[in-house]
This record gives sequence, C-alpha cells and structure tokens, in this order.
Amino acid sequence: MAKKADQTASFMVRFNQIIFEEDGESKVQWRGKVSHVQGGEDKSFTDFNDAVKFIQERLADLTLEATKDESPEEQESLLKKSFSLWKTVAKEGPKVIMETIKDPRKQVANLQDQISYFGEDLKDKVKIDEWRNASRSDFNLIKESLSQLTQEVQRLNTKVDAISKSQKKTLGAKTTKKTIAPKKK
Amino acid sequence: MSQLKDKLQELKKFQEDASIRIQTLGQFNLWRENQKVEAKQWGRDKTVQLLQYLISNRQRHALHRERIMEHLWEEGDDRDFKVALHGVNKVLEPNRPSRTDASFVIRQGVSYQLDLEKIWIDVEALEQYVIIGNEAFGEDVTISKAAYRSAIALYQGVYLPNRIFEDWSSEEREKTQILILGAYVILAEIILNENPLESIRLAQCAIAIDKTWEDAYRLQMQAYIIKGNRPQAIKTYQKCADVLEEEYGIDPLPATKNLLKEIESI
Repeated sequence: MAKKADQTASFMVRFNQIIFEEDGESKVQWRGKVSHVQGGEDKSFTDFNDAVKFIQERLADLTLEATKDESPEEQESLLKKSFSLWKTVAKEGPKVIMETIKDPRKQVANLQDQISYFGEDLKDKVKIDEWRNASRSDFNLIKESLSQLTQEVQRLNTKVDAISKSQKKTLGAKTTKKTIAPKKK
Repeated sequence: MSQLKDKLQELKKFQEDASIRIQTLGQFNLWRENQKVEAKQWGRDKTVQLLQYLISNRQRHALHRERIMEHLWEEGDDRDFKVALHGVNKVLEPNRPSRTDASFVIRQGVSYQLDLEKIWIDVEALEQYVIIGNEAFGEDVTISKAAYRSAIALYQGVYLPNRIFEDWSSEEREKTQILILGAYVILAEIILNENPLESIRLAQCAIAIDKTWEDAYRLQMQAYIIKGNRPQAIKTYQKCADVLEEEYGIDPLPATKNLLKEIESI
C-alpha cells in the first residue's frame, strides 16, 4: 500500500476576473491558473474544462504510480474507475455553478443532495432547511425590490413621455424620444 | 489619517523591537534577541516544520493537535508531536524555567497558536502594510506609498521556498503572491509620473511573479512613453500579446490595445 502522502494530490486554482467594455458592451473574462502542489506544474486557462483536464491528468498519474505493481488488467480497471469519477466532476461541477448563478435556491438543493449522499447522520447535523428558508426569503426580497424598481421605471417613463409630448407641442419640431425599457423580472 | 500613520510607525517599531523575528519569504530564518538561530540549534526538521505550520495557520486561532499531526506526520503519535513542540519552545525561549507556560506558543488544552503580539513574522507584517496601503489609497498618498514600499521591501521571494511541495504551505504562498502583485502594480501606478523608471522596475517585478499580469504590462508601456521611449513601449505591448496568446490563446484587453493605438499615433 502506498503512503498517504503519495495518494494525495492538492491543487491551487487562481481565478482572475476582468470586467471591461468592448464595442459599447460590458464584458467579463475569467483568467485562471491551476497549480499541482506536489508536482509544481501549472496551467493557465480561460476555459474551466482545461483546468479539469489538467487535474484529471495528474490524478491519472497518481493512480498509475500507485498501481504500478498490479497486473496490466487490474491497472486498467482501476484507471477506468478513477477516470469515471473525474468525468462526473467535469460534467457536474460546471453544471452546479451554472445552476447556482441562474437560481440561488438550486445551490441549496445541490447541497442537500450531497448531504443525503453521506447519510442520515450528517443530515441531522446540517440544518439545511434553515438555509433553504433564508435563501428563499432573500430571493423574495430581491424579487420585490425588482418589482418596485420596475414600477418606478414605468412611472418615470410616463413622465418622460409627457415631457416629450409637451416639448413637441411647444417647439413644433421633430425631437428624438428616449425611452427607458422597464427591467424584466 | 494620522491613525494609519501611527499604525505604520507601530509596525516599524515592532519589527525593530520584537525579541523573536522570523523571515519566511525567500528563505527561512529566525532571530532571537537579534541573534540568528543557526541550523544546528533546530535539531530535527520536524521542529522547523511545526513552527512553519503554525506560521502558515497563524490566523486560524487555536489549532487542534490532531489536525496538526494529520498534516505533518504520516503515522506520528503524541510523542512525536511533543518532541517537535518542545524543540520549537526551546528555540524560541531556551532559558524558560521548567513547569512554566511557554510565552510564544499559546496553548489552550490541546490547541496551539503563535502569539502574534510577541513574534514578528515578515509575511504577517507584509499583509498589515498592504492593508494600510490600501486603506490610505486615495486619502493620503504619502502613507500609501510608504506602506506599499515597506511591504515590497519585505518580499524577498516566495513563501517558504523549501516547502513548495507541501500542501499546508500553499494557501499562504498564494495569498502573499496576490498581495504583493497588488502592491507592485498599485505603487507603480501611484509613482508613474514622478518616477517612471521605478514604475517600470515594479511592473517587471510583478511580471516576474505572474507573466500574464496584464495591468503590469500596461503600466510599463505608460512609463516608457513618459520616458520618451516609444520603441520600448511598443515592444512591451508585443511581449504582453505574445504571453497572452501563448498562455490563454487570447488577445490583450481593449484598454491595452487602445493604449498601443495612442502610442502608435504619437
């Protein structure tokens, strides 16, 4: 059996967020660097899949090193199992992040799934329902604020339209009408 | 603002007066009452590692013995831990009478932590200087500059270079690198007009740590233009574009491209 230190791989991932304007549009770019602590290698990436691939390669090396005394068949079988775990991470990891961005409540659901995976004991210790409630009320507060904001913008629109009409009448000339689109919920 | 000035002076004074001073950046050294502790006084490497581990986790108060052992020993027992801890205490206070509490390593039951009010550590001081620099930024540029300069003076290289393959040290190393990158770039920006040559040097220091740090290339380009060195400014842009292409397969940001256009039109 290999030593614990030889069975451990640690990774440091640095994300650098860059927000910039291009062609009158706000854009965001993520630049990342993933480093393998024990090996000292690193890889820059803008696509998170490249980071996952880098991690996967280092882990495959770890499995190969730990099983070098096994038969080729056994080694291949272990490697396949090792890969299948990391395929799941590569597939599920970005999905969880995207779902969380789209709907913060999904984050609680995902956490709940992971907690159930570890069994009932942990479920009792982590008050996930309280998190869920807090999340929902926060979410509702955001929704209410957005809805108030929409109403305000609509009122403002009406006023701007009224001013615009009165200006047209007074000047009798063609003016450009600016409207502020109400924010979607 | 005078509060920040006082803080800055206190930090300087602590660096001069502390009875234990530790260098972790670039290399590991410890001074006790201004006398450097030589390698043979440490005894085992695990003694050094334990102190370095406590430094790396100094802001997580009260580290449980089990957790420390899990990180430092493959199959260690309590005895190994006690021996290493005894070694650390002996280095820090060799004349401590027996059966008295250690004064630098605070113990609470089975948890341990370093007393940061008594031990001066470069990496801790660097962080404090950067905090003062950031707080004073935009309010009092003199204090801000002095604080960033002090932080930069402490950065003699990566955190614990002989432990780069140990995962317990990597978090601190990463954090310090980000802090110092920020200090280099902000100071380079503050002094851009008054001392463009120094700005160029600072930007180069940032690039030496992370060659993809685009802000640093932009500052260098601006500094070269202030110095009237147009060809070097264009060369810097090219270097930036090459590195970004090689590392990420992307173009420089519009701000960098626009700066190049400005330079080309001069």
